[in-house]
Order: sequence, then C-alpha cells, then structure tokens
Amino acid sequence: MAIAADPHHEHAGHLKLEYQPALPLPNGKLIVWLFLSTEIMFFAALIGVYIVLRFGAPNWPATHDVHLSEPIGAFNTFVLICSSVTVVLSLESARANKAGMAKAWLAATLILGAVFLGVKGYEYNAKFSHGIFPMFPRSRIHERADLNYGSAARQRLQAIIAPLSTKPAEALTEEDTERLALAKKLAEQFSTDNLVTLQRLADEVMPPASRSGEHDGEHGHGLNDEHPWLKLPIVIPGGNMWASTYFTLTGFHALHVLVGLIVFAIMMPMTLSAAKAGIIENVGLYWHFVDLVWIFLFPLLYLF
Amino acid sequence: MTTHDSDHAVDTHAHAEGHGGIAKYIYVFLALCVLTGASFFTYSDYWPYHEHPEVGRLFMMVVSCTKAMLVILFFMHVKYEADWKYVLTIPASIMSLLLILALVPDIGLRMRTYSPERKEHAAQSKAANEKLQEKVRAEEPHDAAH
Repeated sequence: MAIAADPHHEHAGHLKLEYQPALPLPNGKLIVWLFLSTEIMFFAALIGVYIVLRFGAPNWPATHDVHLSEPIGAFNTFVLICSSVTVVLSLESARANKAGMAKAWLAATLILGAVFLGVKGYEYNAKFSHGIFPMFPRSRIHERADLNYGSAARQRLQAIIAPLSTKPAEALTEEDTERLALAKKLAEQFSTDNLVTLQRLADEVMPPASRSGEHDGEHGHGLNDEHPWLKLPIVIPGGNMWASTYFTLTGFHALHVLVGLIVFAIMMPMTLSAAKAGIIENVGLYWHFVDLVWIFLFPLLYLF
Repeated sequence: MTTHDSDHAVDTHAHAEGHGGIAKYIYVFLALCVLTGASFFTYSDYWPYHEHPEVGRLFMMVVSCTKAMLVILFFMHVKYEADWKYVLTIPASIMSLLLILALVPDIGLRMRTYSPERKEHAAQSKAANEKLQEKVRAEEPHDAAH
C-alpha cells in the first residue's frame, strides 16, 4: 500500500491511499503458481528418489523384463503434448471471445487426457497380469533364484495340486488332469537346492529379455504366459524396487491427470467467453505442469 | 483502484505484451514432437551408442530439459511474464536439487555399507546374474517342462 501525499493538504486527513499489488499478477494466477512451486518440489522429490534409488541399486531390470513398451510410452507423450496444445488453443479462443471454439478445444483436451489414462490403465493391466506389482507381505517378484524362490514356487504348486488331488478321479475334467500333471512335474523340478537349476526354471517361468535380445520388443513366452493359471513366482533382480518406484511415480502422475480431467469436466457446462479466460489460463498452467512431469518421466522410466 | 480492477489491469497488461499467437504454439508443438522423436531414437537400432548408455541418458536429459523449457516458456507463458517468475521458480528448483543431493549419501550409496548377510537378500547384482546365466546356458536343459 503506497501513500501519496497531496502537496497542498499535507495533513493526515487528506492522505490519498493508492493500491499497488505486491506481484503484478492476478490473485488466482498467483495461487496457482504458488501451488505449482510446491508441486515442483513434490515431483522433484519423487523423481530424485527414483534416480538415487535406481543408480544405487545392485541391479535394475531391463524395460522388457518388466513388460514396459517404449512405443506406448512415446505415444502417451505425444497425447499429452497434443493436450497441452489444445489447452492453449482453448485459452486463445476464450480470449478472442469465441466461447464455442474454446469449449471444443477444452473437450479435445478432456478426450486426450482420457486417452492418456486409458493407455496407462492398459499398461498397468499388462504388469498386473504378469504379477508385477508391490504386495504385502511380499510380492510375486523374487530378487534372485535362491532357495526361498524354490520354496515359494513349491508352495504355489502345492496350492494348485492340493484341491485337485482331493477330487475323485471321475470328477476331474481333462483340463484338471492336465493341470495336475504339469503342477506335479514342476513341483518335482523345483525340489532342488541347485541354484543353476533354479535359475533355469525361473527363466522358463519368465524368460529374461536379455535372452531373446534387448531390442526384440516383448520378452520371451514363459510358463506363466502359456498357463496363466500357474501364477508362479518370478525372478526379476531389482524388480521389487522397480515396481515400487514405477507405480509411485506413474500413480501420482495419473492422479494429477485425473484431477485435471475432473476440473475440465466441471468447466465443460460453462460459457467459456473472455470473462472465463483467467480460469482456463489457471487450469491450463496446472495441465502444462502435468505434461512437464511426463516429459521427464517418459525417458527416465522407459528409455534409461 | 480496487483489487479487482488492479488484477484485471495487470492481466491484460501481461497479455497485451504479446505471445506470438497460434502460429507460435504450432511451431512449439512441432518442436516438441521432433524432440520426443529424438528421445525415442535412442531406443532404435540406428542409435550408435548402445554400448555406452550414459551417452543416451545425457542426450535424453538434454532433450527433456529443452522440451520442458519450451512448455514453460511458451505454453505456460513464462517468457512473457514479469520478474516475479524468478521468485517462485528458482527457490523451488534450488530446494529440489538440494533435496536430491541430500539423498545421495544415505540412499544412493546405501550398498556401500550393506553387511554380507543383507547383500545375500538384496537383488542379485548384474555381474552375479550374468555369471549364473552363463552357467544356465552351459547346462542345456534336459527336462524342460514344456
């Protein structure tokens, strides 16, 4: 608040008060930027922890070992970049008082954001279906093909064998018989303390990408893929840490995308004329930040 | 002047300074697409430095920082904002860097102080894993399950 003294009436009753903002920007935009500065630190912490954990880890899985697809990641990057453009085009339309165009661009942003989340859901499903996810007290991922791994595999096979063995022979279907035979055969193979044999069996359950070549796209077809009911534990050195960091980073990012989509959906019924340009600008700033985070996540998670 | 009027004035002032219009957004969009393609190129077989992953990582970080600057400067209009932008962004960035550096001794270098027992239960190291894989390949599977 500045005090401008009137030279002709220099006593307290005639002081003119003039408002001057501390920062030359609207309050709403200031709040969004303050929020974004906290978000910078939040995501910098998450990404920083990922980098530090990863490069301090004794081993880190190859992207194909954990069913990551680089082209899908690149596609999602493209989708988010497109959505950033549609937001700025919506803002420009609103500023030009073209409410219809502004709404159309905002709808396009909403659709692109939904596509991003859809692709992310597809990717998550690929991990879940292969047993790659953090779980308490322990996940299906083992860090090495040691005796604990052999024991976990036998336990899983026993869980398949036990209910089938108690069934009367005439009640067993052809499929049951096949499952029982395979589970028994595998249980016998896993009854070993030879670490090389256990590693070979682990490779049969889920062949590592390094065997079929890093650039062959998908990992080799393993027992878990051939017989999805087996759900045998898998060996991915560094896989647990990878799963924890991957789902934390992409999960929080997807949550931010979801919040953005909810805000866009709330704005859709509004008349997006020049009077609403400020709101579009503020929401757009948030959306660009979400895009910005993905710009770093894509190479760090898919290409490093 | 009321607070509202003042807000409106600064907003229109910032906007009146100009930001190049729609054509600039399209150029930035194309640049972002090309840069994404450049990052993805490190994955292709034509990338000549597959033997040296650190070259690819450095390249990707440079590309990502360039993309981030394009988004911040043009899409977030920071290029056209007054100096307040430094007040909000620089301290946050410095704090973020300090946070990452603070994590290095305890987390980044954690394996240096691991006991042998703890190492036994940690992820198998790359070298040990490769050695084991060699042994697996040497022993041809006789009784594969499928």
